[in-house]
Amino acid sequence: MSRLLRLIPVVFRTLRRSPIRSGLTITGIAMAMYLFTGVESMRNGVRDATEAGAGDSMLVVYRENRYCPFTSRLPEWYVDRIERIDGVKAAVPMQILVSNCRASLDVVTFRGVPEDALGASLSPGTEITSGSISDWKQRGDAAIVGEALAARRGIRVGDRFNAAGVAVYVAGILESSEMQDRNSAWVHLPFLQEALRRGGTGGFVTQFNVVVDDPARMDEVALSIDQAFAHDERPTATRPEKAFIGRAARDIVGIANFAGILGWGALVAVFALIANAIMLAMRDRIRDHAIMQTLGWTGPLIGWMVLVEGAMLGLFGGILGAFGSWLTIQYGRFAMTMEGASIEISTSAWTAIIGTGLALALGILAGVAPALRLSRRSIASSFGAV
Amino acid sequence: MSTPFIQCRDLTRTYTRGTERITPLDKLDLDIDRGRFVALMGPSGSGKTTLLNLLAGIDSPTGGELHVGDTPVHSLSRGRLAAWRADHVGYIFQLYNLVPVLNAYENVELPLLLQSISRQERHRRVSNAMEAVGITDRHKHYPRQLSGGQEQRVAIARAIVTEPDLLLCDEPTGDLDRETATSIMNLLQRLNRDEGRTIVMVTHDPATTRWADTLLHLEKGRLLEHEEATT
Repeated sequence: MSRLLRLIPVVFRTLRRSPIRSGLTITGIAMAMYLFTGVESMRNGVRDATEAGAGDSMLVVYRENRYCPFTSRLPEWYVDRIERIDGVKAAVPMQILVSNCRASLDVVTFRGVPEDALGASLSPGTEITSGSISDWKQRGDAAIVGEALAARRGIRVGDRFNAAGVAVYVAGILESSEMQDRNSAWVHLPFLQEALRRGGTGGFVTQFNVVVDDPARMDEVALSIDQAFAHDERPTATRPEKAFIGRAARDIVGIANFAGILGWGALVAVFALIANAIMLAMRDRIRDHAIMQTLGWTGPLIGWMVLVEGAMLGLFGGILGAFGSWLTIQYGRFAMTMEGASIEISTSAWTAIIGTGLALALGILAGVAPALRLSRRSIASSFGAV
Repeated sequence: MSTPFIQCRDLTRTYTRGTERITPLDKLDLDIDRGRFVALMGPSGSGKTTLLNLLAGIDSPTGGELHVGDTPVHSLSRGRLAAWRADHVGYIFQLYNLVPVLNAYENVELPLLLQSISRQERHRRVSNAMEAVGITDRHKHYPRQLSGGQEQRVAIARAIVTEPDLLLCDEPTGDLDRETATSIMNLLQRLNRDEGRTIVMVTHDPATTRWADTLLHLEKGRLLEHEEATT
């Protein structure tokens, strides 16, 4: 075993002293793993945003057959009837205003809520990390901004910012485990309605966020809400929040699924790159291997060195690509927003570690066939091939 | 009378190339005593390199027996042959055959990586071997930065670093000018006389045979002449 470990520095030197070949191969692997980790992060974000958890208790009531915040208009007084429905714990009328209705990486979503319903409209565990809710209550144009949106736009408490024709004063920054909260700006409902008065939305809201008292009764409560307004002038369509996001962002979900194929393609590219690099290196080093065998190295030892070389290429490329992608996403705070629903490209060090592990495994796998071939090759045939 | 260090009995090597059967070594009988410096001569195709490869355990005979010391080399498996080679044989090539991406020190260190010895011991042995061949100031140089004579000295250091009983040289001066060849031959003779290493050297150059104490002539795979120097 110690003999095998002693050979690792020799392989490392061999790679380091062929800088162009090693550099190009590692760059290729890094680019593929960058793509793979980026795609996986996007898919993670879609999964987190659209897959319902057992503890989810939020329903979104939207105007039936409307798919954009600009066309969903529900009377604000619906809130009293919704709160009387059995199983509803709280209901918050919410006006949504987005700076861009299409899918985009930089959309500002304003959520207008009544002053006394801000707490109820935020998910449990949400914290105001700077500024305060009391500051928010004191100013009509105040906004509490989600930290992801604030980081993306470089917004701090005390700033004023303008989006979609609405200018707000930043009274606080909030941190939340829910990506919709992290990517929105929370303003006073009358302020947002007033800002949109020209469009005729006064007294109307985009949606109601409804908290049910028992997560197991989500479907039943949603059905009750829709039945209650079925014969009204403005019928509703009620869905669990995650399903609502999944429907709103169905194009992004489709893109994420397609990107999954690209991710697998990137892994195939890594395998092909390493296999190609190793095959070329083996061809160039037939003489060196014959010399080593003459010095007493066995075929299996030469094969081991080939495996180590594949593993090193995969590992270095994997670390560069996967962690490079992780850093980019970590500091870029990207979120795709569509029809007011945000999907963060969410990554974790774990995703980068898995990516690196996959590159390492592919590197070893790519070395198996050449290693086996070399381990069986006689010295005479190696010298004969020079 | 002591047993010869190298004993070949009916040693035969046959190849088949297509339908043609080639026998570069044909029932060779040969004894070499420990500590001899043997020069092996003969025309191309006479079986010199084949014999050298068999002695090194690089190739295996198709018939006969080959004993080196107490080891029946002809009957060893590939793995055991490699281990035996690592411990007992040093091989010097005509074209030096250094690994180009390793520097002089690392090239000499290569055979020691197979042995279970400490890094300090490896360093001591590599330094000693490089000192013995007079290239202590070339540790960090890569083969491309060395002259032919220096490369061959590194190759000799690599061959002797494991302190082998048997040094095999395949035309070690074939690619060197006369002056450098003389210094390399003096070095080999010193290793033979001072350290008692048995050397078998293939050569085409009659001038280099004067350093040897035994001269063997091969032709068509058979021993034609066996001369012992009278020194």
